[in-house]
Amino acid sequence: MSPSQHSESGGRRLDRRRFLTTAAIGGATIVGASALGGLDADAAFAEPMPSLDTAIPAAFAEGRIVAINRNVLDVAGSHGERYLIQLTNATSVWKLRTTTAEAIEVGDGLYARGAAMPDGTIAADAVWVNIVNVYVTIRGIAKDRLHLQHGSAEVVGHIVPDTTTASYLGGALTADLSKTRIGQEAQVLGAWRPADGNIDIARVSLGH
Amino acid sequence: MACGSTSLWAGEATWFCCGNAWGSCGSAGTGACGTCQSSKHMAAWPNLSAACYDITRPDLCGEGMPRRTCGAVMNVKHQCSGATVCVTLADCGPRTKSFCGEATCCNGACRTNRVIDLTPSAFSAIGSLSSGKLPVYIYE
Amino acid sequence: MIPLVSHLAPLVCAVLLAVTGAGKLFGRQTDRLAANTVLVRVLNDGRRATLALRGVGAIELALAAALFAVPDTVVPGAATALLGVGFTGYLAYARTTAPESSCGCTARAEGPIGAKAFSRAGLVVAGGVLAATADRPWWSEISHRPAAAAAVLALAAVLVTALMADPARVLMPLRRARLRLFGHPLEPATGERVPVAATVELLEHSLAWQAAMPVVRSALLDHWDDEGWRVLHYAGAYTDERGTHPADVLFALDLTLTVDSAPSPAVRVSVIDDMTGEVVPSAVLAPTRTPLPLAT
Repeated sequence: MSPSQHSESGGRRLDRRRFLTTAAIGGATIVGASALGGLDADAAFAEPMPSLDTAIPAAFAEGRIVAINRNVLDVAGSHGERYLIQLTNATSVWKLRTTTAEAIEVGDGLYARGAAMPDGTIAADAVWVNIVNVYVTIRGIAKDRLHLQHGSAEVVGHIVPDTTTASYLGGALTADLSKTRIGQEAQVLGAWRPADGNIDIARVSLGH
Repeated sequence: MACGSTSLWAGEATWFCCGNAWGSCGSAGTGACGTCQSSKHMAAWPNLSAACYDITRPDLCGEGMPRRTCGAVMNVKHQCSGATVCVTLADCGPRTKSFCGEATCCNGACRTNRVIDLTPSAFSAIGSLSSGKLPVYIYE
Repeated sequence: MIPLVSHLAPLVCAVLLAVTGAGKLFGRQTDRLAANTVLVRVLNDGRRATLALRGVGAIELALAAALFAVPDTVVPGAATALLGVGFTGYLAYARTTAPESSCGCTARAEGPIGAKAFSRAGLVVAGGVLAATADRPWWSEISHRPAAAAAVLALAAVLVTALMADPARVLMPLRRARLRLFGHPLEPATGERVPVAATVELLEHSLAWQAAMPVVRSALLDHWDDEGWRVLHYAGAYTDERGTHPADVLFALDLTLTVDSAPSPAVRVSVIDDMTGEVVPSAVLAPTRTPLPLAT
């Protein structure tokens, strides 16, 4: 993509955001405990919702991307399956953070959720690229990384400024990682790096 | 066996990968039952066997969870949205004891303690993988 | 040098076997460790595997006592070498038949059997052979040549530690001490803005999410901040009498709030028809509130 095309699409994106912001703040329904009155919260959860389009079966794909052709990801499943995954402008893309299809590369691993199309492809609602969620023990702490033990393997968890967050015993996610301790057990959700097998940390949930 | 609607348990659901796939699940293998695959609706249960229970120890968080073995099926329902997925037990987990007291809530109603681990396929059917955990009701 | 090493070998072997033997015999985790070894399959029962592992621990302790007390006789050393050969055979069998199993050798949680486990068994064989050739008790060797003995024992200690200990575990106290001395390398974040992930978490725990989830199809598509609001954009679809239509689902939340400060936040929700660009007023309805049986 040329720089001028890039700025043009960036401009369109900003215009779109401006339009959506006006709608989101101006014409919105306010939903909150006060707006709907005091609810018995435990009883408030809904009955299972039927799929919006019961004719379209839900689909899931898992594997490594072997090719990218325009908006279609060619994915080799880990157990010999092959998937063609269509991305649209309604497809959410996660790769360490919420991003766009341009961030996806050949060699990345992915999970995709969407709808099975009659032609055998999957129209993706959401794709999560390189996402991993591992149970680890913190073995070392440095300025820009955590040394993690995952099973018998040693993994480096990179701390990414403005992205990595921590949650202490279920508390709200915070950018403050200063309460991490060596020897602590933790769940690390992040983006796996295919090149070296290490992880860029999106969030670290700390236990006791 | 079909997924039923008898209440079994409630708590937090997390997700894990398995089945010799990409990323960190290469080392995980096919789980304690030898059948686990990320792309199937499967789950890990903390009391899959006595050896498993010794690792997860949900009782240390006050969760005296019953034994359910490989192949047992459960309905897992997102407490907030009601979205439901039917899963088959295929591994031991999560490590409940390491996160005692951790809570996930829906509008102030909270579920505490990690009681089930879902495969990406199952978890993404009822929530977003990037959220990491969900409050759930479990039926069998 | 060789006689010095062989005279001290009984002491080194005794300490090594005492540590591993006591761990197996008295360890509270022995049953869990036994469950991960190939013994379970060989003996067809977890309890018998635990008993077998504890039995080996008792033998190791008895050998340690003999090596310690009568180091200048052949039998304890020869028995130790024999035990080492037995260990090697067991490891080879386990590695061939159940590569993922643990060895249960050191009474601690370990990964699958690797080169280290074989080196440890080899060390027991070598130590046993050397100990069997000792013709002088270790205490008289230490008093006779204290400096050389100390050097050999120190070397042996390093070798045994390297083979027994998990390097990460050895490094951990050092790393902890460094943190205590030089402070935590990660600065506490003060007055930082609320991370986007925390706002998403707040939304996903809210009544608004509960109400809108049937309309939402994607995960988070985009987000931005505008005049104190954080707008979270999802793709969705709503259904009316004319069918199902693609839509943008927008949530606006106070960008300073988190689940800790606002357990039940007020959220602005809008559903905008993708084709017409118009707000769909009835797309987000209050959820039906039929109580379901709660798990106990």
